[in-house]
Amino acid sequence: MSFEWVVIIIQENWPMFLRGAGMTLLISLVGTIIGTIIGLLIGVIRTIPIPEHGAKKGMLKVLNAILSIYIEFFRGTPMIVQAMVIYYGSALAFGMDMDRIAAAIFIVSINTGAYMAEIVRGGIVSIDKGQFEAAHAIGMNHFQTMMNVVLPQTFRNILPATGNQFVINIKDTSVLNVISVSELFFQTKSIAGNNFRYFESFFVASILYLIMTFTVTRILRFVEKRMDGPDNYDLIKIGTNSRGEKI
Amino acid sequence: MKNKILLFIIMSLTAIILLAGCGSNSSENKEGSSNTFTVGLEAGYPPFNWTQMDDSNHVVKLDGSAEYAGGYDVEIAKKIADGLGKELVIVKTEWDGLVPALTSGKIDAIIAGMSPTEKRKETIDFSDNYYKSNLVMVVKKGGKYENATSIQDFNGAKVSAQLNTFHYSVIDQIKGVEKQPAMDNFTAMRVALESGVMDGYVSERPEAISASAANENFAMVEFSDGFETSEDDTAIAVGLQKGSELTKKINEILAGISEEDRNSMMDAAIMNQPAAK
Repeated sequence: MSFEWVVIIIQENWPMFLRGAGMTLLISLVGTIIGTIIGLLIGVIRTIPIPEHGAKKGMLKVLNAILSIYIEFFRGTPMIVQAMVIYYGSALAFGMDMDRIAAAIFIVSINTGAYMAEIVRGGIVSIDKGQFEAAHAIGMNHFQTMMNVVLPQTFRNILPATGNQFVINIKDTSVLNVISVSELFFQTKSIAGNNFRYFESFFVASILYLIMTFTVTRILRFVEKRMDGPDNYDLIKIGTNSRGEKI
Repeated sequence: MKNKILLFIIMSLTAIILLAGCGSNSSENKEGSSNTFTVGLEAGYPPFNWTQMDDSNHVVKLDGSAEYAGGYDVEIAKKIADGLGKELVIVKTEWDGLVPALTSGKIDAIIAGMSPTEKRKETIDFSDNYYKSNLVMVVKKGGKYENATSIQDFNGAKVSAQLNTFHYSVIDQIKGVEKQPAMDNFTAMRVALESGVMDGYVSERPEAISASAANENFAMVEFSDGFETSEDDTAIAVGLQKGSELTKKINEILAGISEEDRNSMMDAAIMNQPAAK
């Protein structure tokens, strides 16, 4: 491996590298956001207290069973297998012609959603039971409790895990080339296939992956800090008002 | 707090719209009635097919991408599309995605240096051959296998080949060979060879010529006492859907391309490939 080759490869192929990285980032970013929303929705539904009897009980049980199947299926099978089954399967079985990139985002989203559902559930369960009881005591229903009390705290608590999922997605999109998506890994393979300089080409790709994942983790860390607010609160700020009087 | 809830609702709506969009997003590449001839290839297997950034040497733009595809396969694809009177569309697809893409109708044909093996014929149809090549071994230059003349010289060597190709099954003809697990693609094998993890990989002549021409660490070994292969394996043909109406027309077009034309097209492809300078 020689440094000059790295420079030459970057000079000759930087548009391909950047386009690949852009595609990787687009799919993983949109996929993670949609997946997190799916996870939040499922988390809220799955924590609805099941009443003792009535039609609502049966409905909730069926809904929970469906959601469990969804989570187990997409958590328990590799993304490359899901890509093959969903993209080619939908065309074979139903004659559906999905757009490649839309299909890629769809696959990453539902995959992330399955993981996030469990992460969100963990986040909701971790909120003290007393808060649910207090919210119910002042007359809030389940969704009001979730929206106003639980989810804001849960969202803060699951941010680190969401960041993890985002980083995993950036790396895992490299399997989506089986459905003709030209992400960073596939682009690098083409570049290396042309110049026969494998270590150097993939070295450039590894730096690009690292820049993407590192930036994402830093941004999320910053968001966490912002949500936490300052460490110390000055209850009364001592200073002067506009007329120069001491307050 | 209000703002956060609003943001949440907006994000949910965006998600629903995006997901709904997935289902109805039907793109233009439908087989049969349309005016396009959609071809799948890896665009990473020079000189058969490669990716390049400019439009020199009469290459074809890749579908949904800013890059271009060139190579022997692309030249053949252009001739076939001309003969069919259709517009050529090339979709860059990973090797393992080619057959499912064809059977599910995402592409009309595979023109990717694919050999018409018996196993593949169970799933898809093939046209007549459009190229025939010899099997060779790619080894490290200066290594002890560089001057081999018989495949039996690779006794005790670590040898591999591409997954799901006949290259891999012929390795068993070498006595005492340390057959390595098959690899997914040529990229991985070249990395393994260069790093010394294995001693050689089985390949076809054009791929080996370009590998050894581009990287001075590689050498091609041609055998006087080579692998026994069947005609079906060393030949390369266009992969088509079972019972496709295109098969007959494509065979007529391929019959119109003489052996000389094929050789000169292959020579041009080897010359034009974007190897390291």
